[in-house]
Amino acid sequence: MDAGSSSGTRLTERTVVITRIFDAPRALVFKAWTDPAHLSQWWGPRGFTNPVCEVDPRVGGTLRIVMRAPDGAEHPMIGVFREIDPPARLVFDNIATDRDGKVLLEGLTTVLFAEHGRGRTKLTVESRATARVDYAWRMLEGMEAGWTQSIDRLGEHVAHVGDAD
Amino acid sequence: MSPDRLSATFAALADPTRRAILARLALGEASVGELAEPFDMSLPAVSKHLKVLERAGLIARGREAQWRPARLEAGPLKDAADWIVRYRRFWEQSLDRLGDYLRSLKAKEKEKKRGRRK
Repeated sequence: MDAGSSSGTRLTERTVVITRIFDAPRALVFKAWTDPAHLSQWWGPRGFTNPVCEVDPRVGGTLRIVMRAPDGAEHPMIGVFREIDPPARLVFDNIATDRDGKVLLEGLTTVLFAEHGRGRTKLTVESRATARVDYAWRMLEGMEAGWTQSIDRLGEHVAHVGDAD
Repeated sequence: MSPDRLSATFAALADPTRRAILARLALGEASVGELAEPFDMSLPAVSKHLKVLERAGLIARGREAQWRPARLEAGPLKDAADWIVRYRRFWEQSLDRLGDYLRSLKAKEKEKKRGRRK
C-alpha cells in the first residue's frame, strides 16, 4: 500500500512469485504452457473454462485466452511472447482487459522450468503486474458477488471477535 | 466489536460511493483531494464519507492536520479488495489445476500401458 498514490499516479506495480514442483517431466510441463490443447485445460481459477485459447509460441507471437467464470462472465486476456527457450524458460507480457478491450491489468510473466530429479519439474512463475486504479472500482461495480462474500466474511470475523469478549 | 459498531460497518458498506472509496484505498492511501477527484464531489462531502468509514472501523486516517491520508484498515475487506491478492490467487489456482491436469495425464498414460499389456 505504498506505490503511487501520493504522486497522483493511477498505476501501482506489484510482483507475485510462486514455485511449485510437479511430478512430470520438464518437456511435458513446458508443452502444457505452449500447446493450447493442454493450456485450455488448466488456465485460470477453479471453476473457470477457456472457450478461446490460441497460442502462437514464438518470439513476438501472441497468446489469446478468454476465460469464462462460473457465473458466465468472460475475462479476455492477451499475451505476447518475449522469450521462448524450450523447455527451460518462457517470458510473456500478459494483459487483462474488460469486454470492451480496456486494459485492467498489465503483467510481465517469466516462467522457469527446472529439472528436479526423478522426472520431476520445479516451476517458478514470477509475474510483475500493474493494475489500473479503476480496475478496483470495477471490482466493486462488477463483482458484487465477491463483495457480498467479503461482507459475509466480515460478519464471521466480527462474530468471532464477539465470542472472545 | 459491539453490535453498534457492526451496524455502523454494514451501513457504511451500503453506499456505492463509500465502496468505491474503499476500492481506491485498496491501491494505496490517498488524501481527501485525491479521493474527491474521480467522483466530482466536494471535499466536505468526501470528508463526510470518510468519517462514516472511519467510525465503522474500515479505514484509518493519518494524524497530520493538513494532509490526513486515509488508508484501508487491515481485515477481511482489505484482503478481498486488494487486487494483488486476487492476482496471486489467479496464479495459485491455475497452478493447482496444472498439477491436477498433469496428474490426470499420468493416470491416463498408465491406463494405456495397462490396456496394451492385456
